[in-house]
Amino acid sequence: MGTISLKNINKSFGSTEVLKQLSLDIQDGEFLTLVGPSGCGKSTLLKIIAGLEQQNSGDVIIDDKNVNSTRASKRDLAMVFQSYALYPHLTVRKNLETPLKLRDYSFVERLPLVGNFVPSRKEKKKSIDDLVFKTSETLKITELLDRKPGQLSGGQRQRAALGRAMVREPVAFLMDEPLSNLDAALRVHMRSELSELHNSLKTTFIYVTHDQAEALTMSTRMAVMIDGELLQLDTPSEVYNNPSSLRVAEFVGSPKINTFAAQISSDGSVEFMGIKLERKFNTNSQKALVAVRPEHLEITKDSNKPAFEATVSYRENLGSDIFYHVQVDQSDSKIIVRGSPAGPISNGETVRISPSHAEAMLFETSGERIR
Amino acid sequence: MHHSKAHIWFVWPAIILMIVILILPIFLAGGISFTNYNLGNSSFEWVGTENYEKMFSRKTYIKMIISTATYVLIVVPVSVVLGLVAAIMLNSLRFGADIYKTIFFLPVMATLLAMAIAWEFTLHPTLGIINSFLANGCGGIREFILGFHWLPWVSSEDSWYSVACANNMDFPYWLKDKKTAIWTICFIGVWQAFGFNMVLYLAGLTSIPRELYHAAEMDGAQSTWEQFKLVTWPMLGPTTLFVVTITTIRSFQVFDTIEILTKGGPAKTTYVMMYAIFEKAIQQNITSIGAAITVVFIIFIILLTFFQRYVIEKRVHY
Repeated sequence: MGTISLKNINKSFGSTEVLKQLSLDIQDGEFLTLVGPSGCGKSTLLKIIAGLEQQNSGDVIIDDKNVNSTRASKRDLAMVFQSYALYPHLTVRKNLETPLKLRDYSFVERLPLVGNFVPSRKEKKKSIDDLVFKTSETLKITELLDRKPGQLSGGQRQRAALGRAMVREPVAFLMDEPLSNLDAALRVHMRSELSELHNSLKTTFIYVTHDQAEALTMSTRMAVMIDGELLQLDTPSEVYNNPSSLRVAEFVGSPKINTFAAQISSDGSVEFMGIKLERKFNTNSQKALVAVRPEHLEITKDSNKPAFEATVSYRENLGSDIFYHVQVDQSDSKIIVRGSPAGPISNGETVRISPSHAEAMLFETSGERIR
Repeated sequence: MHHSKAHIWFVWPAIILMIVILILPIFLAGGISFTNYNLGNSSFEWVGTENYEKMFSRKTYIKMIISTATYVLIVVPVSVVLGLVAAIMLNSLRFGADIYKTIFFLPVMATLLAMAIAWEFTLHPTLGIINSFLANGCGGIREFILGFHWLPWVSSEDSWYSVACANNMDFPYWLKDKKTAIWTICFIGVWQAFGFNMVLYLAGLTSIPRELYHAAEMDGAQSTWEQFKLVTWPMLGPTTLFVVTITTIRSFQVFDTIEILTKGGPAKTTYVMMYAIFEKAIQQNITSIGAAITVVFIIFIILLTFFQRYVIEKRVHY
């Protein structure tokens, strides 16, 4: 079992409110990502779940048990830290053994020298050795077991830290930006490994990151947090395609979503940049914002399509795609359009930009979604 | 390839200075220690190892080794442990830590000479504040606490305190008694040294990443002792090595307090090496013996340094 629920969590450091009335239900076996810009309180939330930080008010419930007054070591969770926090004086093997020994050995068995004479220790030592070996096999770090963390590369340390969390079969894994100290290629590789690990362990993962790519690729559900509030909790595709507010839409997706000022007439039809949306919306506002992702805009030569004119100011070539940063002619706003590499469009050229069918989203000027 | 000789010009002033004021005197002392030369004499004779034989056979020098060893073996462990305990306690304080830091660090900053004079007054057998404090406490709570009457196996008639009270306030003579003098000197040594160790440990503690404590907590290290064993102590390894080395060398060099308070007495119980060198070579002008003691002293320090450099260093840096 590994269900965790948070009920109305409040946390402030001095006069700064970090978490505001945050509630969250995490299901058993799910890979939940807490994603948000830095300073949004996601790491603090993770520490509150772990018990390393105490909330000002609200409840943390693990497996239907209120753990507000249970200390971190008794909550049976495992954590992977951003800096890995391996014990530098111990070999990888000893690092992996530590959580097992601290929990399974009695006080007497842990004593140096004297502990060797306690008969029950031998049996426990064997099961610990087996577990450490099994874990190191899973993570492919068997040949590193006798090295110290200082002799490992970043990726190997990452695995060792993962191993220390895994040996114990905890209720849930908490990960605090575990990939942020790795180089780009290794990070992408570890993303897939972590997903596979989650599939094989079937344990609850709670994963904190500021990188929306990690959240989109790995999670079962992602929780978007901004300024201490939970804005949306849904599957990655739902968060991406159907954001609940403009802040979520702007945070998730790279490059950032484009927004345009729009007018709404009394019959509910919406017009922006001279283009009329096909759908009608039921709202009282007269002004709104239309948001369109870069891949839902195209550069067109077809004069029959509804389009507006803009000047290309910068070409961003990513190999598979080219993103054109363009200056809209009628206003001072800059937008980003995805094009195919084939297009021989150069800087300074004027192009016609047309939104693709039925992909625009409408938001109130205050940020709420109009559906 | 062109070889420039410029580097030689840059290093020779330092090398010459080092040879003249460090290396040469050491070899000179080594040479003199095999002669009967006294400062001012126009000639000398080689006497072989006679000076060293004297050192290891005469009672005075045996006492010198014993008192030096006692001082080092007491002051180093006690001041290191006290420094560590004080640092950990101060580190956990939220208020008032600065006040305690100042109090504990004052003896380090103060001139030991002046401090020694203050201790001389404090410890005076009849006029000193300590003995008058003890005398006024006869029959009261002070006698109960300091006489260890609260321990089940100490009877209230036979404790040292009660005996002293009964015998007309016969309290220890501290520095003037050969039974207590070296321990009193050790106490002053600890009092003087532990503040410095505490500051070094405080610096060491602040450099331990907090995430390690979090990791230890998540791994199930619940008691403070377990977290200390798993994180604090290993992470303080380099600091401890430095603190122990520095304190040992300083303890070998103890001189000011001895010169002012006991002059090596009573009955040579506080006759430490540095004081012996001073007394023999400077006061009594027996340069050859002074040189022999110096050589032994240097050998101690070199052994210590090698031990630190090659044995322990490997175990504390990860």
